[in-house]
Amino acid sequence: MVIKHKNIFKTESAWSNADEKLLCLDTGSWRTERPVLDKEKCNYCGLCALYCPPQCMKDMGDYFEADLAFCKGCGICATECPRKAITMVPEGEFADEG
Amino acid sequence: MKAKKGQVRVITGNAVGAYGAMVCRPEVVAAYPITPQSEIAELLSQFKADGVLDAEYVEVEGENSAMNVVLAASIAGARVFTATSSYGLVFMYDALQETSGFRAPVVMVNANRETPGIHAVSSGQQDMISARDTGWVQIVVENDQEILDQTIMAYRLAEDYDIQLPVMVNYDGFYLSYLAEAVEIPNIEDVDEFLAPLKQQPERQKLVPGVSIGCGTHGMEMGYVEARYKHCMALERVKNKVDEIDKAFGDYFGRSYGGQIEEYRTEGAEIIVLASGSAAGTVRTVVDTKREEGVKVGMVKLRLFRPFPAERLIKALKGKKAIGVIDRSLCFGWKYGPICMELKTLAVNIGAIPILSYIDGLANLDINVPHIERVIDEVNAAAQGKPYQEVTWIPMEE
Repeated sequence: MVIKHKNIFKTESAWSNADEKLLCLDTGSWRTERPVLDKEKCNYCGLCALYCPPQCMKDMGDYFEADLAFCKGCGICATECPRKAITMVPEGEFADEG
Repeated sequence: MKAKKGQVRVITGNAVGAYGAMVCRPEVVAAYPITPQSEIAELLSQFKADGVLDAEYVEVEGENSAMNVVLAASIAGARVFTATSSYGLVFMYDALQETSGFRAPVVMVNANRETPGIHAVSSGQQDMISARDTGWVQIVVENDQEILDQTIMAYRLAEDYDIQLPVMVNYDGFYLSYLAEAVEIPNIEDVDEFLAPLKQQPERQKLVPGVSIGCGTHGMEMGYVEARYKHCMALERVKNKVDEIDKAFGDYFGRSYGGQIEEYRTEGAEIIVLASGSAAGTVRTVVDTKREEGVKVGMVKLRLFRPFPAERLIKALKGKKAIGVIDRSLCFGWKYGPICMELKTLAVNIGAIPILSYIDGLANLDINVPHIERVIDEVNAAAQGKPYQEVTWIPMEE
């Protein structure tokens, strides 16, 4: 057997850099709703980031914001936010952004 | 080198499993009690309470958690141990696959017992057989001493940098779990020295606090293919490694078991009985009797079940005239027993000889001397060209 494949992983098991490679799927394209943050209500508690399944909430210093390239639109952040600072808005309302 | 001597104690197979783990100094242990393995979970807990075992003992609410705990501890770099049986093994089915997929060198002993469907609190290899496609290394042992020795060897195998795979050491529940035999327990310092070569190897990747790395994800398309390819190649490497470690163990402790398979009186033998587990002990004595009667019979004991020791089996069985395979489990969807079914895939290499499948010893029924005599007589007749029955459920014909 002639192997033409160039290894993706340096390790035997599938270890990767969680800051980059873990976010490797185009999960943003799955989204039908996106989280919109009311910064006035947000007190930077970080629960949204803890609960986010693809772990795509970016720490902006005094609030968190979903990385829309990976946000699947599941709405868990909006459900978990104790201050109701996140609202899920249908993607259709952002249609002009493509 | 003079073989290292230990302390001889008369203890049960389960106690041996616990001592086997203890002398390897696991750092994290999580096990949930289940018949016939419970004594291991209890004893390890006792060792910890007595201060003999310096490990984190995590009490879990079930076997699925037990496997997930040791998996997580293992990828964080700890040496880990767990033990289970039957329903417990089934209950950790997803976690078994996570563990091997993460290439975590977990060592587990499994006291073989029948599986769910018909509630049989009794011996049988069905649990081990049902877990054969989980990517684990699976080894079957014959007696109490071998449980201990193989558990030590399992660490040397699992944690080897070229292997990095979880290893399951299987022994017959009830038969061995509650059987007390004289067992030589090596000094813990000698075990340290036997396992020391692992320290000379490169360090495997581990979780590190503050470093954002992850394992097991990023597996779409070629990431998946590559990880699975590496896993399968590592399983192939296990075969020779098992032989090497068995030899090294023999040199150091004075006991060895043949590695992937044990060949007993196969030289000059025309027919072979292939067996595994505690039944191999009975087969050995019947082979001796039959040899005295002039029957040219030998035994091959299957020790390594996953990966399947194809090359060693071909070498041992090529040129023989007929083979009888005793399975203590079933292969649903095939009429042969599972080990027989797998052996049959090697028929093209072994030669077109009769391979007779025997199902025996299910649900605590004994694979006894008359049964094995019958197997040898029938295989011998088949070798001489007489007609034979392909599959025999021995207890159903009694």
